Amino acid sequence: MDVFIQTMVSGILIGGIYALVGLGMTLIMGVMRIINLAHGQLMMVAMYITFVLYEYFNIDPYFSLLVSMPALFLLGVLIQKYLLNPLLRIESIIPQNQILMTVGVAMVLTEVMRFIFQSDYKSVKTPYSSAVLYISSIAFNFPMLIAFGIAMLLTAGLFFFLLKTDTGKSVRATAQNKDAALLLGVNAEWITQLTYGLGAALAAAAGTLLLPIYYLYPDVGGPFTLKAFIITVLGGLGSTVGAIMGGLVLGVAESLGATYISMALKDAVGMVIFVLVLVFMPGGLKTLTKV
Amino acid sequence: MKKSTVIVIALLFSIGLFLYPASAQEAIKVGVILPVTGEKAKFGEIEKKSFEMALEEINAAGGINGKKLEFIFEDDTGRPDVARSAAEKLITKDQVVMLGGGYGSSETFAIANVAQESGMPFLVSTGSDNKITEQKWEYIFRINPPVSDYPRGLESFLTEVVKPQTAAILYENTNFGSSGQKEFQQTCERLGIKVVMAEGYQSGGVDFKPLLVNVKKANPDLIYMISYVMDASLLMKQSMELRLTPKVFVGGGAGYTLPEFQKNAGKASDAVFSATLWYQTLPYPGAKEYYDKFLKKFGMDTEYHGAEGYASAYVIADALKRAKSLKPEDVRGALAATDMMTVFGPVKFIAYDKMTNQNKLPTYVVQWLNDKLELVWPKEVASKPYVYPIDWEKVWK
Amino acid sequence: MKPNHWSKLIIVLFLAIFPLIVPSDYYRHIFILALMWVVIGSSWNLLAGYTGQVSFGHAAFFGVGAYTAGLCVTKLHISAWWGMLLAGPVCMVVAFFIGCVCFRLRGPYFNLATLAIAEIFRLTAIVWRDLTEGMQGILIMRTFRNKTYYYYFALILAAACIYAIYRVIRSKWGYYFVAIREDQDAAESMGISSFRYKTFSLLISSFFTGLAGAFYMNYMGFIDPEVVFSLYFISIMAILVAIIGGAGTIWGPAVGAFIMVLLQETFRSSFFGLFPKWVSQAHVLVFGLLVIFVIRYMTNGIVGDWIKVQRLWSKNKEQPLASTGS
Repeated sequence: MDVFIQTMVSGILIGGIYALVGLGMTLIMGVMRIINLAHGQLMMVAMYITFVLYEYFNIDPYFSLLVSMPALFLLGVLIQKYLLNPLLRIESIIPQNQILMTVGVAMVLTEVMRFIFQSDYKSVKTPYSSAVLYISSIAFNFPMLIAFGIAMLLTAGLFFFLLKTDTGKSVRATAQNKDAALLLGVNAEWITQLTYGLGAALAAAAGTLLLPIYYLYPDVGGPFTLKAFIITVLGGLGSTVGAIMGGLVLGVAESLGATYISMALKDAVGMVIFVLVLVFMPGGLKTLTKV
Repeated sequence: MKKSTVIVIALLFSIGLFLYPASAQEAIKVGVILPVTGEKAKFGEIEKKSFEMALEEINAAGGINGKKLEFIFEDDTGRPDVARSAAEKLITKDQVVMLGGGYGSSETFAIANVAQESGMPFLVSTGSDNKITEQKWEYIFRINPPVSDYPRGLESFLTEVVKPQTAAILYENTNFGSSGQKEFQQTCERLGIKVVMAEGYQSGGVDFKPLLVNVKKANPDLIYMISYVMDASLLMKQSMELRLTPKVFVGGGAGYTLPEFQKNAGKASDAVFSATLWYQTLPYPGAKEYYDKFLKKFGMDTEYHGAEGYASAYVIADALKRAKSLKPEDVRGALAATDMMTVFGPVKFIAYDKMTNQNKLPTYVVQWLNDKLELVWPKEVASKPYVYPIDWEKVWK
Repeated sequence: MKPNHWSKLIIVLFLAIFPLIVPSDYYRHIFILALMWVVIGSSWNLLAGYTGQVSFGHAAFFGVGAYTAGLCVTKLHISAWWGMLLAGPVCMVVAFFIGCVCFRLRGPYFNLATLAIAEIFRLTAIVWRDLTEGMQGILIMRTFRNKTYYYYFALILAAACIYAIYRVIRSKWGYYFVAIREDQDAAESMGISSFRYKTFSLLISSFFTGLAGAFYMNYMGFIDPEVVFSLYFISIMAILVAIIGGAGTIWGPAVGAFIMVLLQETFRSSFFGLFPKWVSQAHVLVFGLLVIFVIRYMTNGIVGDWIKVQRLWSKNKEQPLASTGS
């Protein structure tokens, strides 16, 4: 029984971080209908920012959220403004060239970081990195609990923003029907920039929160990009609640798969679920909730 | 019209580039293939620096019979296909007299295949899959012990001190990891240790707890882990979180000896054993000097990978000095006749088990004690006495 | 864009006599790789550039092809060259099932599904050690020492692939493919079964990609799952090759393959040792910048936007930009 409970607990905790990764992606995919293959790399950049702040200025990773998120927001806006939006105006044979652009962006971000920091592994070692709460014999990793909490807060914030503010409503309108939104006077250009910026900032939050329990090198982003779109499709495009659920489901499924099938097939479990959802429940989990 | 002119010019130009003669041969050129970008770059860097350091010393001491030695470094980026391209380039374009380096097992294998086919001597410095020297390839020599020998020094430690009944083997799903797992499983069977669990994982995971809860349930006396540095530290950190308490944790080389392991794992690294191939206090001439010089010159620690590179450079220089000519056949002959002392230990290429042209070396056991890596086994050469049995609650407090 | 027959003839002649005039095995090696990428890029292009189904999972076919050849040696104990015969049909069978799953989806969903399936193949190949040897990989001894044979083999393969695709595109199927790319629903309403023709396109595409994989096994002599099922180095590279050359054009992927392979090697070796060593560290960076540049300013690739490229050369910027759709 302990094995099962511990597996569930670590699955849910890692799911919180996955949710945060997926949240950014679901915004971007929902509004712009493109897969952001640079998502993990944006996370990686934020992790380097956090690392530098900790290493040279001794700033706690949780405070550096205040730097890494705005920084990545800005980076995201710039990428959208100068690299992705101009593509909309060009006729091309392959409609997916925005996706390919994100591949290029991902490569450049990774290599620029490699140029600056080399391929060395970096880590941030805080006093609480290995702090653990025990409830009977079940271990709760403390930084992961905090990450989970912050993930929930950010989701709630985003949810509120999308539902209650005018800008948020414009974002949702653009996601639903871009042309109609344009007609109604929504500045679509700005909305896409804002969306990509927000997506990048959420990826930054995920990276920063992950750093104390993980480590960092320039290629760290790739696997998280894959996770991000699994979660997005699992939860349903553009749905914040879906992203949370998708993250948790993926985390738990991976953990259960790793415990009861094989650790080596952990990533395959996610992929199989992903394909099944794509085929049998294309709307994702959000179709179950109607939110 | 204009287009075709441009194309003709471009083609002529490219032919010119292809026929561009290799620069006049003054120095003796040796190709060294290591990963300096990509995920394995950390280790490649240590080795490359060691090669360069040795090169300076060799040339300062007169080079190869008066001629300068030159290493041409190629980056395999940790991918076998790129390693293969690099080997092709070194052999046919740079016309090197022999090859060195070879870090990852897959990459080394790919290079060795090219080298054997082209009749080019290749001294492997790190790639440790047994297969590499089991092919009866007469041009391939290996200075480092094969992966099956990594735990050999550990064997006596296990049978004399720990005496475990059961073992769990965790390994990364790479060539190095899976061949290491296979070999260690056989070792366990020979020693009468029951392997209760052997499970691979994908390198780079965030959460190893699902794997570790199963280990905890199996409750083995010995946990043997084959992992690179960051997986290693996460495995130990999460083992500590789950209060996984076997008699001993043993790392199977690679990640568990690097300073980054300790830095990242913190107190979770304490009292962890690791198999290793080399330690700076070993009574080999120049070992400590090499370590100190490296530390002073680059401001970073070195470990067995570096020593392998440094020793390889000297073995290469020695073979080239003795070779009758620089023809591959003569260099091969000289390499085969190698019998010298290096910082990495005595080097002599012999055939044993199923391997040929393999250097046989004793291996050792190290342990992290008070944030420092100490050599603890065999006792005769130990830098500190080992700590065993281990009270994990005290260590992890 | 009128084809310039002279320049094409020169290029073909050059490729035909290349191994005779260039003695270095190293350059032959690079050209062999480039020709292999011509095959992969062109077959991706048939599915994506002509039929509009952008696959992010061509590594699945490449890997299956390579493993078909490899398993011929390790399991059937016959020459890996048999793999060249078997790989095509095996890949078509695999592709058929992948098509059944993925063609139910459109747009980004299709992209993601193909990507995920390729990843499942990769992970399975790693774990299924009894069949594939896992990460230990499969090593075979190569048949020929002489690279000239491989070169001509690759050349014939590339030529056959391009010719086959050319014929398909000029046939009725080709028009159906393009119709599906331009507007699937419209094509459907004209009575074109989109599922059937998408599957045809996929089968042809996977056939040649599988052949390229089998060739890779024969030529390189060593494969492991991370190499042949790689997302970044096979699937994405296939896309980049076709996009940079020009998707939806016959010659685009061929041009793209040569550019990408030559550029990669040039940078990896720091311009053949003529430039300082740090240049080699930047090879992926330059790749990335090239991708950004091409997509931003030459969306249809070098062949697709050839007029723009020419204009850059002639510096005659006054004439208005012509529409560049092909």
